[in-house]
Amino acid sequence: MKQVLWVLVGVLGLLTAQAQTRQISGKVTGASESELLPGVSILLKGTQRGTTTNTSGAFQMEITGENPVLIFSYVGYQTKELPVGNQTELNVSLTPDNKALDEVVVVGYGTQSKRTITGAVTSIGYDQYKDRSFSNVTQSLAGKMPGVNITQAQGAPGLSPIIRIRGVNSITAGTNPLFVVDGVPLENFNLNMINPQDIESVEVLKDASSAAIYGSRGSSGVILVTTKQGQAGKTTVSATFEYGIQKVAKQIKMMNAQQYIDYYVAAKNNGWVANGGKASDPNSARTASYRIPDDFLNNRQMFGNGTNWQDVMYREAPLRNAQVSVSGGTDKTQFLFSTAYLDQDAVLDNNYYKRLTIRSNIKSAVSKRLTIGANLGITGITDRTEGTQGKSDVISLGLQSTPIYPEYNENGNLGPLDPNSTWNKFVPFNDLVLWHPYSLTRFYHKKNRSFNTLGTAYLEFNILDDLKFRTSINANLFNNRGDSYRVAKQGYGYSSVLDAAATNFSTYSLNWLSENTLNYDKQFGDHKFTALVGYTAQKQRDEYATVGANNFPNDLVETLNAGTVSAGSTIASEWSMLSYLARANYNFKNKYFLTAAVRRDASSRFGRNSRWGTFPSVSAGWLVSDEAFLSDVKAISNLKLRASYGVTGNNQIPNYGAVSLLGSSNYVSNGALANGLRNTNIANPDLRWEKNNQFDIGIDLGLFNNRLNITADYYNTVTKDMLLNLPVPDITGFSSQLTNIGQMRNRGFELAINSKNVVGNFNWTTDLNFSLNRNKVLKLGPSGAPIIYTEYVVNVKTEIGQPISNFYGYVFDGVFKNQAEIDGYAHDPSTTPGDPRIRDVNGDGKITTDDQTTIGNYQPDFIAGMTNTFSYKGFDLSFLLQGSYGGEIVNQNIRYLGIWNAGRNFYEDLTNYWKSESDPGDGKHIKPTISPKGLQEKFSSYWVEDASFLRVKNIRVSYALPTSLLQKTPVRSARVYVNAENVFLFSKYRNIDPENTTYRPTNYNSISTETGTIGSTGNNSFPSGSMIGVDYGSYPLPRVITFGIRADF
Amino acid sequence: MKKIINNRVIKGRGLRVMAIAASMLTLMTGCKSSFLDLAPISNANSENFYRTTADFDLAANAAMATLYTVYAPEGPVSYAGEIQSDNVTLNAVAGIQADKWAYRDYSINSSNTINYTFWQTYYSALYNVNIVIQKLDAATLNDDYKKSIRAQMQFLRGLYYFNMVQTWGDIPLVLTPITAAESYTYARTAQAEVYKQILADLQYAADNLPLASATTKGKPTQGAAKTLLGKVYLAQGDKTNAARVLKEVVDSKQYSLVSSYASLWSNANKNTSESIFEIQFIGGSPTTPFSEYYQTFFPAVSYTGYIGGGINQVTNDLWNEYETGDPRRTASIDTGYVDTKGVFQAVRFPKKWNDKATPVTTGKVLGISNFVVLRYADALLLLTEATDDPTYLNQVRSRVGLPAYGTASYPSKYNSVTLALEHERRVELALEFHRWFDLKRTNRAIPVLTAKGKAATQQRLIAPIPLTVLQQNSIITQNPGYN
Repeated sequence: MKQVLWVLVGVLGLLTAQAQTRQISGKVTGASESELLPGVSILLKGTQRGTTTNTSGAFQMEITGENPVLIFSYVGYQTKELPVGNQTELNVSLTPDNKALDEVVVVGYGTQSKRTITGAVTSIGYDQYKDRSFSNVTQSLAGKMPGVNITQAQGAPGLSPIIRIRGVNSITAGTNPLFVVDGVPLENFNLNMINPQDIESVEVLKDASSAAIYGSRGSSGVILVTTKQGQAGKTTVSATFEYGIQKVAKQIKMMNAQQYIDYYVAAKNNGWVANGGKASDPNSARTASYRIPDDFLNNRQMFGNGTNWQDVMYREAPLRNAQVSVSGGTDKTQFLFSTAYLDQDAVLDNNYYKRLTIRSNIKSAVSKRLTIGANLGITGITDRTEGTQGKSDVISLGLQSTPIYPEYNENGNLGPLDPNSTWNKFVPFNDLVLWHPYSLTRFYHKKNRSFNTLGTAYLEFNILDDLKFRTSINANLFNNRGDSYRVAKQGYGYSSVLDAAATNFSTYSLNWLSENTLNYDKQFGDHKFTALVGYTAQKQRDEYATVGANNFPNDLVETLNAGTVSAGSTIASEWSMLSYLARANYNFKNKYFLTAAVRRDASSRFGRNSRWGTFPSVSAGWLVSDEAFLSDVKAISNLKLRASYGVTGNNQIPNYGAVSLLGSSNYVSNGALANGLRNTNIANPDLRWEKNNQFDIGIDLGLFNNRLNITADYYNTVTKDMLLNLPVPDITGFSSQLTNIGQMRNRGFELAINSKNVVGNFNWTTDLNFSLNRNKVLKLGPSGAPIIYTEYVVNVKTEIGQPISNFYGYVFDGVFKNQAEIDGYAHDPSTTPGDPRIRDVNGDGKITTDDQTTIGNYQPDFIAGMTNTFSYKGFDLSFLLQGSYGGEIVNQNIRYLGIWNAGRNFYEDLTNYWKSESDPGDGKHIKPTISPKGLQEKFSSYWVEDASFLRVKNIRVSYALPTSLLQKTPVRSARVYVNAENVFLFSKYRNIDPENTTYRPTNYNSISTETGTIGSTGNNSFPSGSMIGVDYGSYPLPRVITFGIRADF
Repeated sequence: MKKIINNRVIKGRGLRVMAIAASMLTLMTGCKSSFLDLAPISNANSENFYRTTADFDLAANAAMATLYTVYAPEGPVSYAGEIQSDNVTLNAVAGIQADKWAYRDYSINSSNTINYTFWQTYYSALYNVNIVIQKLDAATLNDDYKKSIRAQMQFLRGLYYFNMVQTWGDIPLVLTPITAAESYTYARTAQAEVYKQILADLQYAADNLPLASATTKGKPTQGAAKTLLGKVYLAQGDKTNAARVLKEVVDSKQYSLVSSYASLWSNANKNTSESIFEIQFIGGSPTTPFSEYYQTFFPAVSYTGYIGGGINQVTNDLWNEYETGDPRRTASIDTGYVDTKGVFQAVRFPKKWNDKATPVTTGKVLGISNFVVLRYADALLLLTEATDDPTYLNQVRSRVGLPAYGTASYPSKYNSVTLALEHERRVELALEFHRWFDLKRTNRAIPVLTAKGKAATQQRLIAPIPLTVLQQNSIITQNPGYN
């Protein structure tokens, strides 16, 4: 009975104790008394009750329970637990956290503390990109990491940037880094499928020792993306809303109608004179091509200034982005659910991008030994994206369109092909062509829908306390459907009047991965040992289907049932890969570190004779600052030396590159189709990985209590057995063969500096990074002969001793102003005054093909980025400068806009063309002619421009609302911010942006729709990557300004 | 008690380790090689091809399909045969114009991109032919079948090398599929040697090909091989052998001139009795082979649904070559078109590939018209060339109702069989890619072309070896006059 009473008393006591709440208040300061810390989170231990300090570092909260303990945590400071006792006021000072070394960094197949890392790994956390408005997280990383060159080749929404880590390692194989999302390696993955707000951190494995664990796919670097997980504690609800405006900040200066007419008339007359006529000849005396519309001569005022087609196709476009996430959990189970919707109009008329993402990440400790979890991300995208295909796409065609036509003709139609329009009289002049932007954006209906599901499910089992088994099943399922319908006649706005036609296509791609690893982790006195062994199997299947129809009776129904199906095809392709991997980390006294790793990969892509490849690596680190002899040097708070060597591979070649494929080539005999099959490539059963051997040496230095942190790395990479679509003599019947041949070297230096310039109430931090890379070809094919790839007339030449893809052409030395100048210089026999002066490079007195020389290279001498962040109370301001120096770009639009090309419009500065010996113009622009007989159209330095630039890439301002304002609301914290991207560009480039290129880093395409063959390199005679740095009419990068608000509940 | 628990724990751990190790092992050893052996799904691959007659039929068809590129309207035979001649000119057209004008103006240099494309066109075609020949040798198939396919292939090879040797002079002679490594050992073979091979190939074809029949439409026949053989002999100045084989063609009585010249060019009238070798198209749909002659030869203007190519635009010189009343002019040359406004636009362009009424899809005329490589009129004129006997020439003239050579009303300016032939071949075979080859074969190119203002020289009658070819293999030499 007594016992029962005691129990009752106890229970009552407990109840009263729990009910006993009281107020506590106080201040949180940093290292000095005056440094008040705002936004410190304070949690009553064992509960979910908590608060944060206001802008003056003060807090107030209710506490309950006996012996309450408060936990103070703040980024950059050590977490502190304090028993409250009987105090009602508590002033706390937090110690700055100099243990940045103990931050956990994600590496391949695991995590490591920063202290133990011996390779070159850069980690970027959520805070660095949380306010950026990009749909792809890597876009926000441009200019932030040394050795990682991220360029936004084109500005359409949803377009991924080109990422090059430590230079270019391949000529033919793809150079995209490997993306690893929550542990799943995905080649050529589109990171737009992962909402950046769901990403906890992005790690870039730059050197071979850290990437070698990804073996045959690591040579272009590895980007690890880790999605967020809930934290034990109070459930947090976060909501964000952003609204933004996008605008094309710069227009290309094109001729107006009057300027155009001048040039047109001159080109016709000069062409006619060169063919034996007189400039005064009337049309009746000329052959058709040389005729000039009467209105150009007698009625010019009717055209006014004509139409600026850029005004027609571009618009100010809004962007909206909303996101809600719920995260939390208990000690055993943590979760995060989130959903976000991005609704982005494009600056290009009628284009848009809408994305819905849903994520569910759950992890649960089922028992002491067993943990299971699953991450599931679902993304749906609906978009219409055009203008990115370069020369024959909307944007390029808009620029090429002649300015003489109005936006709408008198009948409300788009163009001169309207037979009832007065503008129709210009149609017989085949060279007054209009590709009205609306004929493609409004009279061509297109819609693209993509769905991506990336799921990972895993089980971790602690077999022993120090031995953990992990197995996972992962899958990425991608589906895409596209519809297009071309409206009959396209409003008469296109270059020809076409019938209605519709297509529908779909792709399906399933990638699955099974991964099994054992982790062993053991400390013996001063010796710490971890080991990993694993086995993985991965397979992907791609399918593509397309159907086309024509003969639509009218434009009322756009689905294919309304027309007659006229074409259809399905194709499929697969690859598979088996891998073994092992890694051992050893450290002694937490000062001396050693890591060795090896992976063995086998891929279906390679020849049967060389299917397996081994990729070893080793690295070592020494934390010098922990040595006794440095303990007295107060200035040095951290000093680590690192060195590594490793081998990685590149497997980005077509799925069936080793096999000789048969392609269809049909004939007709006896009036019937006679099917034919021919070899489309040369088999190479020895085809194998390209191997990268990389040496890296680095230093991490922290000075003055880590106020100044410096990381520097030097690397030397030699790529051997380069996968080369080697040009072979055409007498073989082929122009190239996929071969392992050649060597290339990339050498570089990277520097990252982080400086906390001012610390206190006002904070100022500067992050600076600098990288340079020198690329050199060491060996090529059997004869060592240079390789020249040509697109139209643009040549890129790769030769031993030079960086890859030198621009190769004539040197344009301006214009021959008069006959005397011609007589005084070497010249092409066709030359007359006003024609280009080509430099006689070899000095033989003649202009021949031997006078072609290197006229530039895309690769910059160095790139750099700098972020400055200022914070004061709740305000944050940061801006990012990004620059690139010393590269060149080929402006391939010159083909259309810089010389006469079938009447297309011209750059405005061509108005300074050579008119006569007495009026020779600016000496830079040749005499217009419609029938060039000499070197006018050939590739020369006239096409090459300086690609150096400096840009204010990003400016953002944010303000955290003071907690005092929020106290009476359910809102725990709230921030408002303004973010501006592509704010300003300093560049001499005459088109939009010197980062523009219309070529992709890989022309490996699992499904090539152009050729109807699958896993082929496409029908280009050059690898797409070799042409990076050539701009053939790119989509402009808009300036984007977003306003956002974010609140946590 | 405690000890026992510990033992159990240890034992339990051990079991777990073993179980997991075992399961990993199972995973590792399962289905290893079959997992990695993935054959192409949507392309056949050559490993199990070239075995049955069905395989060889497919491969031979693909080899025949190379005719589409070699005889394309902007292909090597068209550019050499017409643009380099006095028959045609170009409109100012899209593309690298200077490289196109260079053909007309005899200013082709080694970096001319079109010249290089033609080189690739021929050798790619030859590979498709050679691989069939090589694989036939290795196949265990009926001998007659092997001979018939082989003869077709050797006909093509003879035809292509004949065109090539006239274009470039000495050329690498490739008779079998070669590897990249082997290709570096192939220097240029002297013309005489190439001609020997051409004769051997065509002789084999003549000996083993069937006579023309209802089932040989689009395929080479004995008559085709012999006609071509006759032309090759003539190009070498061997009139005796030329006369012999061409006479055999005539005497075979397999061919006859159709009564109406104009009807030769009707799409309703393909593979006529006059046709000796004719490249076949179906057309009318983008999924079957269609011909592009009509559109490419249409003036470079924007027309109903398509834009003309502006290639092979007829010169006044050709127009004036026709005698008064020669119906072949109207049949060969279009004098204009009615534009979208209904206005007639006068301009002269080829009419022989008439696809005016053919369906147009996405800017392309899906041409139905065939291309005749060899026809009986050609053979007859060649026979006159070989024998100096105007009888055969006069057969061609009487078909179009023109006075015979040697009669009083025959135009007096063509006062020799040679000149009469030159005139007759030009108008009879106008725009069919013969003119320049005819002038060259008869050694008339320089006087005729220079008289018309062309910069033709002995050296310029041979095209340069493309620069890329020289760069790829240093043992390849350049033709004189191009360095």
